[in-house]
Amino acid sequence: MGATLTYTEVELIQGLLARDEKIFTYLYDHYSPALYGVALKVVGEEAAAGDVLQEVFVKIWRNIDRYDASKGRLFTWMLNITRNTAIDSLRSKNHKLDQRVQDVNSVALMYEPQLAVHLSVDHLGLSKVIERLQKDQRIIIDMAYFKGHTQEEIAKSLEIPLGTVKTRMRNAIIQLRTLLKQL
Amino acid sequence: MDVQRYISSGILESYVFGMLPETEQTEVEKLVSQYPDVKAALDLLQQDKERFVQLYAVAPPTGIKNRLTEIIRQENTEDGNKLLPEELRAPMNGAKHNGHQVPGKKKPDIEKETPIKYLATPKSSSDRLWKYLTAAIVVLLIGSVVMNFFFFQKSTDYKSRYKSLIATKEKLDAEKEHQALTSSKETTAIPVDPDPLSNPDFKWTQLQGGGAYAGKSVSVGWNAQTQAVYLQAKIMPLPPAGKQFQLWAIVNKKLVDAGVFDTGAELTQELQHMKAVAVAQGFAITLEKKGGSTEPSMNQVCMSAKVTK
Repeated sequence: MGATLTYTEVELIQGLLARDEKIFTYLYDHYSPALYGVALKVVGEEAAAGDVLQEVFVKIWRNIDRYDASKGRLFTWMLNITRNTAIDSLRSKNHKLDQRVQDVNSVALMYEPQLAVHLSVDHLGLSKVIERLQKDQRIIIDMAYFKGHTQEEIAKSLEIPLGTVKTRMRNAIIQLRTLLKQL
Repeated sequence: MDVQRYISSGILESYVFGMLPETEQTEVEKLVSQYPDVKAALDLLQQDKERFVQLYAVAPPTGIKNRLTEIIRQENTEDGNKLLPEELRAPMNGAKHNGHQVPGKKKPDIEKETPIKYLATPKSSSDRLWKYLTAAIVVLLIGSVVMNFFFFQKSTDYKSRYKSLIATKEKLDAEKEHQALTSSKETTAIPVDPDPLSNPDFKWTQLQGGGAYAGKSVSVGWNAQTQAVYLQAKIMPLPPAGKQFQLWAIVNKKLVDAGVFDTGAELTQELQHMKAVAVAQGFAITLEKKGGSTEPSMNQVCMSAKVTK
């Protein structure tokens, strides 16, 4: 992201703490596609993902004073809020009604190359990376990150020992890291 | 602690991608604060994740940005804040706990967040309406399928019951017809000739036996108008086995079959209905094989008589 940013993370955080609307707009412009992408991947449906995104930015705005830089970068913090909000939304009663529809959608979305419109990653990036990521490694990342499954659930679902789940995850990330470097 | 081994165990990856249970998360966070190498590895993984999720980046629908700007603007004034739904107002003091926790939740920060309900956007509320409509339609469809099945069963049931009714009716009709036929035989045979013995239309001819049949007698009543013929085997022996007596009408010196008849003690007073005879100058009786013959056996004539004019 570096090159296009005109604010440093510290400036962003200070601006938010100072209730600076311009900073908030900037934050939205630069981070909403990534956060919306995560929300969409989790909930699998545009209207619900939009609701999640809106809620996420209100949370960021409200809770910026609780951001702890020692635990990770601002973007990581925002991603965590997004993922948790989206998974909460997915699990909330509001979405139980059309759970099945979402599941179908998310399965369809899972391996469907999407248009990535973000800054430094060209729109072919996703399909390139996803294609090269081995299927079982893709699945483990998807299940853990986007579907919020615990390692027990993953072990059960993939029919592998619990101890193997972490090793698989590590291998998946190592492969992912290699692929991301090639972009 | 063997830091390198810990780093290569995969626990940090699992932590970053949010699949660890709460206890293991806390443990990771503790070690991260203790070991700079672990912290460095974690930072790298978080950057991997940041790059990874950006692969999924999608431009959000327009309109969300304007709503958000409105929300934070209104929030900045006290009046504006009061205009918002309660759950969206700026937090006054102390944060409530978020309803339920997500396994793999990463930061304690998030747990402290003020719960914020969805902002009902026009899109999502119309979506909800559609959801309910869809649900209602699905329910109706299922209901209709069930009803179809039910009524189909019923109609099949009615069909089979209808068929069995038809069958019963046909059977009854057949029986009725049969009865009508038999009764018509009886009614046309006897009621037409209520009492041939006292009916003046019947001419009664007494046939007296000769030779082997001397003393035997049969009377034959013939109604020339209705062509009906009755026979009374007054005094006649039983025929030999396999034989039967047969009545013939004498027409122009030829014998015309008028049917076979039975004899015996019980039948002496019985009127036996014979075949119709149109013209007859007289009657004759022969002994024939059982069931009668088409041609009379002229050597077996038992008796004969002319019809009196």
